[in-house]
Order: sequence, then C-alpha cells, then structure tokens
Amino acid sequence: MSIDNNYAHPDALVTTSWMADHLKDPGIRIIESNEDILLYDVGHVPGSVHIDWQRDLQDHTIRDYIQPEAFAALCSRNGITPETTCIFYGDKSNWWSCYALWVFRLFGHEKVKIMDGGRDKWIEEGRPLTREVPHYEMSAYPAPSKRRDAEIRAFYDDALAQSRGNLPLIDVRSPGEFKGLVTHMPEYPQEGVLRGGHIPGAHGIPWKQSVNNDATFKSAEDLRKIYQTDLGLKPDDQIIAYCRIGERSSHTWFVLNYLLGFDKVRNYDGSWTEWGNRVGAPIEKSL
Amino acid sequence: MSYPAKLSAIIELFSGLPDAEKRETLIAYADQAKSQEPRDGETFDLEDVRKDEECTDTVAIYLRLDEQGGAHFRISLGPQVQTLTRAMSSILCKGLEGVSPADILEIPADFVPKIVGAELVRLRSQTVYYLLTRIKSVSKVWLQRQRNATEDNNE
Repeated sequence: MSIDNNYAHPDALVTTSWMADHLKDPGIRIIESNEDILLYDVGHVPGSVHIDWQRDLQDHTIRDYIQPEAFAALCSRNGITPETTCIFYGDKSNWWSCYALWVFRLFGHEKVKIMDGGRDKWIEEGRPLTREVPHYEMSAYPAPSKRRDAEIRAFYDDALAQSRGNLPLIDVRSPGEFKGLVTHMPEYPQEGVLRGGHIPGAHGIPWKQSVNNDATFKSAEDLRKIYQTDLGLKPDDQIIAYCRIGERSSHTWFVLNYLLGFDKVRNYDGSWTEWGNRVGAPIEKSL
Repeated sequence: MSYPAKLSAIIELFSGLPDAEKRETLIAYADQAKSQEPRDGETFDLEDVRKDEECTDTVAIYLRLDEQGGAHFRISLGPQVQTLTRAMSSILCKGLEGVSPADILEIPADFVPKIVGAELVRLRSQTVYYLLTRIKSVSKVWLQRQRNATEDNNE
C-alpha cells in the first residue's frame, strides 16, 4: 500500500514497506513511542530508539514539557542532529508517536515523519522485531532558542478565548466523554477528572474517524469529507484540538496539519484533565 | 498480613534488582503469560470471563480449588492488554498458588510497586493493580457461594 499523494504533505508519512527497506539509512532515526511502557523492550523495529512520553518528554516537577536544553540532550544521546529525519511509530494507532512528533515540532525539529499504521501494522505484516537496543554515537544538537508554544500549543486561556469567540474547537474524545456520560475513555481507568462534558462550542470528532481498521490514516478524500465538507473547517481557520491529556489530539493535530495542510492548528495538551478539574471552567453537556 | 510465601519470594527477588534487570525480569514474566492460560481438559470451580473496563481488553480468570482448599488460577488475556499486566498475571498465578481464597482477600496491594518499581506505575499503566482486584473478586464470589451452599445444607 502506498501513501496517498493527495495529502497536503504526503512526505510526512512512510509506509511499513518503505521503512523495512531503509532501516539502515544514515540520515534517519526511527523512534518508537508507546502507551505500553514495556512494549519497546518486548521487541521493536531494528535500529529504533525508544522515546517515552512521560520519562523523556515531560518535566517531572511541573505540568509542562522539558526545556530546550533537555530536548537537546535527549536528541544528542539518541544520535539525532537537527538534520536527522525522525520517523516515529508506536502502539495505539500512533497516538504516542504523533504526540512525540508534536513535541519535536515544539522544539522546531523540522524533519519528522510517521510510519503509517504504526507498530501493529508492522507486526501484522510479519516484519522483524528485535530486543537489541541500538547505541548511537552522541551527536551535537544545539539547544533550540525556544519552544514554539505560541504556534502549535494551546493553553487554558487560549481554549477559553476560542470557545467564547465561537472559533473551531475539536474534541477528539469518544462520544461518551464528549457528552459527559463518562469521565474516562471506554475501557480505561478513571484518571482523576471531576466534571464530565466538553468545552462550550466544541465539535465532537473522535480521533478514530481519521484512521482505517489497520491503523493507517484514511485517504485525503475521506479526511476532507470529515473535517471540511461535514464539519465545515477551512484550511486557514485557527483551530484548537483537545482530548484528555493531549495524545489523541496530537493525532488529530497531525491529520489536520500534515495531511490536510491546515497550518493554524494548535494542540491543547492540558485538555480535559485540566479543563474538567479547573475551578470556574464552563462546561457543556449534550444528550 | 504478611504475603503468601511464594509471592513473598517473588517480591524479594524484584526488590533486590536494579531497574534494568527489573524490566528484563518483568518481560520474562510477561513472556510466560501464555503458559498461565487454561489447558485442554482442565476444569474450574469458577470462571470470570469479560472484557475488563480497566485492562482495555478481555481478561479471563479461572479458579480451581484443590482438596486442601488452596486456590489455583489460570488467566487468559486479550492482545491489547499491556505488557506490565501480562507480567502481573504470571506473577499472581505463581505467587498465589495454593493460597486459600479467604487469605487472598487479605493481601494488600502495596506489593505491586515493590515488584514493578515506582517509575513504571503511572498514568496509563495502573492496570497492573486490576488483576489483583479481579482475582480477589473471583475469590470473594467463590467464598460467598460456599457460604450459601453451607447455609442451604444446614436448613
């Protein structure tokens, strides 16, 4: 299966077959990011490194991402330079790989791609896994001058202004979470949210609508129908996507930004675990 | 209450391991999860098979009681269940072997972080706790059935 050339940026995706043929390319780094914390250790794409969303990308003393110096150190110890093409893949239809990619973009790393279909497709096709952890020579990665928070990340106040201004807010959680019937994902533990519902004015478009059963992204035509024809979004709209902690909305951010070419999309990573707990935050419920 | 002897030995094994070896040992236990599934011809006193709200996939617990009243568990897990939870299924099947259902109910859950390590018990990996909850739930149901049967016999 090939990548749909009608995507706005088809080069943001690689197929599993392309990946298998380029495992040893010197200019790339394959990065696995998962929800299952031990999955990389169980077996991974040969040559891939593991970047963990919590251990590696988040600050452990404040609810925020790591600072530019820590990002540079992370890249250095994985042999990544600013010129390296980082190809992300993982479990859960690439939720966490999109999340990691988004964080790399926060620090301005330009060359990023997703392996379409992620880990499940790689395994389904009988491709090799290894438990051997590669060791790459430390690279020079200058600390980025800043994080691009203002460009691709939204905070509570941004989401509130979006809501009050009737600007596009996309809630990518499951329908039950959107309606306020449940405060956690189906089949997931409660993660400590006090109120159920959604941000007033948000549109409920579950992330899952953008993927096929094999975890690959839907065609450009299908995605345009969902987001442009049916929802009425326009490529120059200022859009904010959110979920519970920002991983599923990273997936939708990737779809809107890279596959549909919307360049004013921000991910509200505080998401429902911030909004649903925040004193005074307005909430809408629907039947 | 102190832990059952076999579980205690596993806890002791893990508590002496550095983090890297702890992860390797957990994966070794996860690899053995398949061998904890029911085998052809085995019969059970109680079966609890359902898609578990907390484990993201089907978790089936099978209980057999031996002549001394000791419990023996088999567990089968759906493909989406996390590796850590797979490891815990092997650990619990082995660690609780021969323990009475009444004693299982008394086991505190504080051994989980001792085995898994604080770094791995976190958001989205809390499912490690739920297998113990399910095992306790099956033990409780079995005890209740025994009580009901005894009461019926006494009437």
